[in-house]
Amino acid sequence: MRNTITEHEDCFAAIILVQNELGLHARPAARIAQEAQKFRCELRLVVEDQEVDAKSILDILSLAAVRGTEITLKGWGDDARQALEHMADTLHRTLGEGA
Amino acid sequence: MAREILHGVAVSAGISIGKAFFINRQSRRHIPRETIPASKVDYEIDRLTAASNMVRDEFEAARAKVPEELREHGAIIDSHLMICQDPKLMLAAATRIRDRGITAEWALEQSVETIAAAFSAIDDPYIRERIQDVRVVAERIMQRLLGGADTSRALEERMVLMAHDLTPADTIELEQDKIMSFTTCEGGKTSHTGILARSLQIPAIVGVEGLEECVRDGELVIVDALRGRILIDPTEDELADYSDLKYQFENYQKSIIHQCKLPGETVDGFRLDIQANIELADELQSVLDNGGEGVGLYRTEYAFLNRKKAPTEEELYREYATLAERLAPAKVTLRTLDVGADKMMNTQEKLEEANPALGLRGIRYCLKNLDLFRMQLRAILRASVHGNVAVMFPMISGIKEVRQARYQLNLVRQELDEAGIPYNPNMPVGIMIELPSAVMISETLAQEVDFFSIGTNDLIQYSLGIDRANKHVSYLYQPLHPAIVRSIKYVVDAAHRAGIEVSVCGEVASDPYCIPILMGMQIDAVSIAPQAIPGIKRIIRQVNMEECKQLLRDVLSHATVSKINRKVRQTIFKRFPEELTFFASLLDQDD
Repeated sequence: MRNTITEHEDCFAAIILVQNELGLHARPAARIAQEAQKFRCELRLVVEDQEVDAKSILDILSLAAVRGTEITLKGWGDDARQALEHMADTLHRTLGEGA
Repeated sequence: MAREILHGVAVSAGISIGKAFFINRQSRRHIPRETIPASKVDYEIDRLTAASNMVRDEFEAARAKVPEELREHGAIIDSHLMICQDPKLMLAAATRIRDRGITAEWALEQSVETIAAAFSAIDDPYIRERIQDVRVVAERIMQRLLGGADTSRALEERMVLMAHDLTPADTIELEQDKIMSFTTCEGGKTSHTGILARSLQIPAIVGVEGLEECVRDGELVIVDALRGRILIDPTEDELADYSDLKYQFENYQKSIIHQCKLPGETVDGFRLDIQANIELADELQSVLDNGGEGVGLYRTEYAFLNRKKAPTEEELYREYATLAERLAPAKVTLRTLDVGADKMMNTQEKLEEANPALGLRGIRYCLKNLDLFRMQLRAILRASVHGNVAVMFPMISGIKEVRQARYQLNLVRQELDEAGIPYNPNMPVGIMIELPSAVMISETLAQEVDFFSIGTNDLIQYSLGIDRANKHVSYLYQPLHPAIVRSIKYVVDAAHRAGIEVSVCGEVASDPYCIPILMGMQIDAVSIAPQAIPGIKRIIRQVNMEECKQLLRDVLSHATVSKINRKVRQTIFKRFPEELTFFASLLDQDD
C-alpha cells in the first residue's frame, strides 16, 4: 500500500492504523526503534495526547497501542522526508493487517 | 531427606539430576549507592557507556548464533538489543550521574525504577509485563558495572542451570547440549524460559523462592519438573528413586506420544470423543499433534480483548471459517462471547459491581448488547458452511435465557435468508452447564438444545461458593465433593434421557484420577487442554466400563470428600501405578 505523507509548516507526517492482532507489542516496537535510529532527524509518534520518541523502544511500548489505534508519525530535520517514507513503510509492515 | 526442598511452577515436564550451575546471581552483592565528586562524573558516564556497549556486543554475538528453530528467541534478543541502548534507560542514567553526582550503578537502578513506575500504569498486561525485559537487560549491564561476567563461564559438563532470571541471550550463549534443565527465581507460567525449555524438550521450573540463598554452585540437585520441586543435596535413596522415575517418565513420554493418534476407546469398546479447549487458531497444530479429535470449546474472547474497537463481523467470520475448514470433518464448538467478571473488553463500560462473578457476564452481557451478540452469531452462522460447526451459550441460569438467545439466532438466520447468504440450518446449538440452577433444571433445558457442555471449573466454584484464587478458601475447591459428583451425574442422566449429547470441559476432565469416574457416568466427550490429551487417552484405552461404573458407585456411596479422595486415589493408583507417578492431581491438595 502507498503511504500518504503530508507536508506541514514545520514537519512531515503520516498516519498509520494499527491492524495486527497483538497491536504495538515488543517485536514491532524493537523494529521501529531500530529503523528510526538510522536517521538523523527527530522522529516522534503521536497517539491522542501522548507523544513519544520513535527511537526509543521503551517510549514506543509505553503507547500501549492496541489494534484499532491511529498513530501519527512526525519528523523534523534534514532527512525527514526520506525518513518518513521509510518509517511509514516499516510501520505498515509491522502493524498492518496480517503482520 | 534432602537438605532442602524448594517449590516452584513446573513449566516444562521432566526430571533432571545433576550439579547446579548458577548464573546471574543477584543476592550477595553490593550496589554502591554513593555520591561522587564532580571530577569523576565523566569517568562514571564512560563506565556506564562501556558496560552497555559490552552488553550490546554480547547480544549481537548471541543474535548471530540463534539457530533457525529458535527464531522466536532471536526476536526477543532483538528487543533486548534495543533496550540496552535505549535513551529512556541509558541517556536518562547518564543525565542522573551528571545532575545528581551519583555512581553509574545507582543512576542505572534509578532509571529502571522510573521506567517501572511508568509501565505499572499501563492497562495492557502484556505491555506492562515487558518491564521484566527492561529489568533483565539492566541487570546484565549492572553485572558488567560491578565487574561480574559469569555468563561467559564455560560449561565443562552437563549442568542443571540456575539463575535469578534468564534471558534468551543467556541461554544461547551457553552450550545448549550441556544444559540439563532450567530453574529460575523469577518468572511464571508464560515466561520465555518455559517456551524455550519446551522447544528444547528439557525440564524447567520457574518462580522458585529461596533458590539463590539455598543452592551452592556445583551442589547435587534433583529438579522434579513433574511436581515443581527441587531437592538440594538429596540422599542416596532419593537419588535412586528419582533415577528410576526419570527413566520411567522418559519411556512413558515416548509411548504416549506414539499412541496419541489412536481413538479414545475403552478395552470393551466404549468410545469417548477427546476434544481440545483452545482460544487461538494458532493452537490448532498442537491439538492435532496431541491427537485431539476436534475442538470442544473455542473461547471466542481473544478477538474482543485488548483492542480499542470491537472486531468486525468479517474478521470473526474469517477466523471461524478458517478454524472450521482446518478441522473438518472434526467438529469445532464455538462458545459465544463470555466477558465480564475477570475478562473485560476495552469497549465495555466498566461497571461498578460488588461481585463481578455474580454480575453481568456471559450470556447476560450478550443479551444486553444485542448488536454485538448478533454480529457474532452472524459470523458463526456464515462460518458454519465451512466445516462441522456448533455453537454454545455460556452462563445459562434458566430457560428464558436459552429462548432469548435462540430467538436472536433465528432473527439472524432470517436476515441471512433474506440476503441470500448461505449457512448450515442444522448447526447444533448447545449450552454450558456451569450454574447450580442449570443443573437442577437440566431435564427441561435438555428439551431446548442439542447438547450440553458441563463447565466444571465454574460449576465447582458456584456450587461450593468459593473462589479458587482466594487462598483462604482454595482448600475447599473439591472436584469430588459429593454435591459436584451428583450434579454432574444428574446432568448427564438428564441429557441422555432426552437423547442429547453431553461433554465435560474443565480441569476435572484432564485429571487422571477423575476421568474414570466421568467415564462411569457415560459422558459422550471431554474437552481438555491439548497437552493433556495423550495422557488421558492412554488411561481411557486401558480401562473397561464396568470398573469405571464400580468406581462411580463407590464414590457415590461415601459421604465425605476425604473418604472419596482416598478411595479414588487408592483405586486409580493401584490400577495405573506407572502413569500416576508422573502427574499431580487436583485431589492432591486435599488431605
